[in-house]
Amino acid sequence: MKLRMKHPLTNVLIWLYALLSIYPLFWMISYSLKNNNEIFVTNPFGFPLHPRFENYKTAWTSFNVPQYFMNSVIVSVVTVVFSLSMAVLFAYAVARMRWRFSGAARTYMTIGMFVPVQVIMIPLAILMRDFHLANSYLTLIVPYIAFNLSFATLVFYGFFRGVPVDLEEAACIDGASIYRTFFSVMLPIIRPSIATMIIFVFLAAWNEFPIAMMLISKESLKTLPLGLLFFQGQFTTDWGAMGAAMTIASLPTLLLYILFSEQVENALTVGSAVKG
Amino acid sequence: MKKWALALIAATMVMSLAACGSNNKDSSAANSGEKATEGTSDNGKGSSAEPVKLRIYAQYSDEDTKGPYDYAVAELKKEMPNVELDLDIQAQDDGQKLKTYAATGNLPDIFQVGLDLINTFKKSNNILQLDSYVEQLGFKDKVLPSAMNTLVTDDGHTYAFQYAGNEVAMLFYNKEIFEKNNVKVPTTYDEMMAAVKTFNANGITPMALFAKEKWPTVALFDMFASRSDAAGITKLDKGEAKASDPAFKQAAEEIVKLVKAGMLPKGATNLNYDQAAALFHEGKAAMFLNGQWEIAASTEALGEKLGFMYVPAPDAATYENAKLTFSGGGGPGGYAVNPSSKNVELAAKVAAFMAEKYAEFKFTQKGTPMVALKVDKPIINKFPPVMEQLAADIPSMKTTSFSWGLSNPKFKAAIEDASQSLMTGTYSADDFISDISSAIPSK
Amino acid sequence: MRKYLGNKTAILLFILPALLLYTVVVFYPVVQVFYRSFFDWDGLSEASFIYFDNYIRLFHDHIFYTSLYNSAVFAVIIAIVQITIGTMLAFAVAEVAMRGRKFVRITVFIPVVLSITVVCQLWLAMYNGEYGLINKLFEMLGLHYRQDWLSNKNTAIFALAAVNAWQYMGYHFALLLAGVKSIPESYMEAARIDGASKMKAHLSITMPLLGETYKFCLILAFTGGLNAFANMYIMTSGGPGTTTYTLTYMMFRSAFRVGEFGYGSASAAFLVIECLVVTLIINKLIARDPIVY
Repeated sequence: MKLRMKHPLTNVLIWLYALLSIYPLFWMISYSLKNNNEIFVTNPFGFPLHPRFENYKTAWTSFNVPQYFMNSVIVSVVTVVFSLSMAVLFAYAVARMRWRFSGAARTYMTIGMFVPVQVIMIPLAILMRDFHLANSYLTLIVPYIAFNLSFATLVFYGFFRGVPVDLEEAACIDGASIYRTFFSVMLPIIRPSIATMIIFVFLAAWNEFPIAMMLISKESLKTLPLGLLFFQGQFTTDWGAMGAAMTIASLPTLLLYILFSEQVENALTVGSAVKG
Repeated sequence: MKKWALALIAATMVMSLAACGSNNKDSSAANSGEKATEGTSDNGKGSSAEPVKLRIYAQYSDEDTKGPYDYAVAELKKEMPNVELDLDIQAQDDGQKLKTYAATGNLPDIFQVGLDLINTFKKSNNILQLDSYVEQLGFKDKVLPSAMNTLVTDDGHTYAFQYAGNEVAMLFYNKEIFEKNNVKVPTTYDEMMAAVKTFNANGITPMALFAKEKWPTVALFDMFASRSDAAGITKLDKGEAKASDPAFKQAAEEIVKLVKAGMLPKGATNLNYDQAAALFHEGKAAMFLNGQWEIAASTEALGEKLGFMYVPAPDAATYENAKLTFSGGGGPGGYAVNPSSKNVELAAKVAAFMAEKYAEFKFTQKGTPMVALKVDKPIINKFPPVMEQLAADIPSMKTTSFSWGLSNPKFKAAIEDASQSLMTGTYSADDFISDISSAIPSK
Repeated sequence: MRKYLGNKTAILLFILPALLLYTVVVFYPVVQVFYRSFFDWDGLSEASFIYFDNYIRLFHDHIFYTSLYNSAVFAVIIAIVQITIGTMLAFAVAEVAMRGRKFVRITVFIPVVLSITVVCQLWLAMYNGEYGLINKLFEMLGLHYRQDWLSNKNTAIFALAAVNAWQYMGYHFALLLAGVKSIPESYMEAARIDGASKMKAHLSITMPLLGETYKFCLILAFTGGLNAFANMYIMTSGGPGTTTYTLTYMMFRSAFRVGEFGYGSASAAFLVIECLVVTLIINKLIARDPIVY
């Protein structure tokens, strides 16, 4: 396994690709320090020559950033916890346990991946009203959990399918209950995928715009993406301030990702050690 | 792994507790609000000291929309101190959010609407018919004669308190560029073609157009079509004409010719306002199409060099004839009221008040004579010269409609898409006719 | 063992929470969409039942065919690009000896983390016909290949697909990397003893073992592509004209811009069925592999 990469060219290409991937970050920050004319005409790609920090002031004073931020944190964290717990249980039952409709259940769950959210917006809004969830955090959290179930379930399914069956056999012979097997044998093994999914689902909830826009009318419940509405007029848009708002909204997720990515890597190493 | 999982769970629990806490507070506040409301509606006038909270859905995202709103709210505070407005900012979403509100019975007390939403909402009883309030508040007397068309819809009723008058789309031009290149300000299509050719030969973009948005492309088409048929696209909208009628066919053909000759900048259908405006403001484009609200920004950038032209026509006689027909115009729209609001009467009063103050602000501070209502306050910011010139035309001006003022949503969507396609030069007049024909109701 | 893994109570306990929530919040509204597709309805007023009229109209609407074509192009491009690049990067980064693998691992995921609005704005600038970087790049290479990427009806859909492919490649990369990493080292060691080259070992061992992951990646890319909406909404509004419409965009236009909710529901219903068929085909093509290694 300790082979050296034989192709320096491949390495260079990969590095180039990595640089290309980091450019939008640089671009977003530059963008947030420019005015409309610089963004679109005079200096679309470079770093601003006269950084306009007032964009941040505009962004910060246009709406209650700390409050929106807090709401985003609450909604995203709760979504991650509940959707992942439900999905992992479901995926295990479908991937490993033996029952007649397991295949059908998985296909049924898949449908959620290809329902454009715009399509079901109005029925969803009516549903939230009928459950008396309108104007509470739950009006966002419940749909977010439900919409992330399909994706998470399918990912976990893939990972569960890859686990050798002898592990369960051994646990069964040891006399462990199925619940115990699940929690203390299976869960630890698929930790890398759980860590990965935490990032995915968190991002999905954090950046979600259409549902939040449609279902939230109360100022005290608004999440960060809705802050963008303050800059988009019918005829004009304050792009610089919008960039500043987007930067404020994305930097935390970026930091979180870098932290978690480390966790994923560690979990990965542990995970393969268990198996190997 | 375990540690942060624990931390997550702990955090969640704290937050969900916090969430419950704030929910309780919110609902108790709502309850007290309801009680207060009952108190006020009893005496009907809304002038009692009991505070009332009204939800309002309005535009509030740039200077053009924040200015009048803030002004109106400040005035409202003086006039009806007991009324507090709870603002829900309007999204640029084709009315999606309001429709969702309507579907769930969650409409705000007061909301801004255009003609298409009025038509949808009146079928489903989601918009209050305001005739009695128009009478009671003497609103009709406040409407300018030139803007009477904005007060009632086709069925003869009023559904919104209007403030914007007959705003129009205009062809602005840079006088200096025309002089330097020895180009005559075009009055006919042939002269327009000659201008396009000369400018292109000299490396100047003939006309800046932000065709990423679809309405300016509809406006351009309508400008041409309304030379021969003064009603322009509104005739198609109502199904009173066919897309293959000469006025429309010729307009589409002329535009295709001009676009092919290079009238528009590269990738025009992907230019946004800022990009197109920069071309014009920096003297790289000779002409620019936008609404009259552009006057302020262009005057600032070009000063004396800014002019506006009447739309070129097939021949000189038609040009003279159709000169004062402007593309654009207002329609019913403005502040509407939710019929199931708990404070219908007060909401209607506040809506009318807001409309009045919007018109006042636009007239006195934004230098816009194109408002729907009479304003008797002195002007604070003077009209720019081009606006003075345009203002002189207002009394005898005829208008058509902007694409957002069209009444048939199906036709509106079709002509928006088709007009934008015209700007690519790879779409023929026949394609245009067949694509919009299917969306025109037959009469 | 059969009995052990066939524990009915456990199965019920495991599937019920997800199943219930999903059925009520996601599936029930989908059923409504199918139901509404048989009505003439503006979303608010009284609806009238019109049998299959919406579907008949759909099959005569040329925008529908443009949308079908665009969705297919979009799906195929993102599937090929994302999975190929994702695989190569995942294999490279899984290599312990690779220099700067941590840096690469973190950066290639950054576009996913950023919001789609930011990424679309960036690419709008890149594609700009006048001063966009893409055209400059061609110029630098001495090629006179100026294009109005997004305004040309032949290139627009490809340009949009490229943005999506690039932005969300990170998803596939992360999933495949997690997959590669969880393959026991012993398998690769065995291949090495057989004298197989690195590339061969990956082709013959790693990729087959990642069958389930690939299946999922394919489903993700295809259904994501068929559903494409945000890129069009932000970058072209379906334009120029109707050239970059997709089924979702068409549904959006019908339901919200035109107010024909029933007709929009018909295109949405068609979309759901289309995706379901594609998913079933993918499932058939890549057969469910046995649990045992």
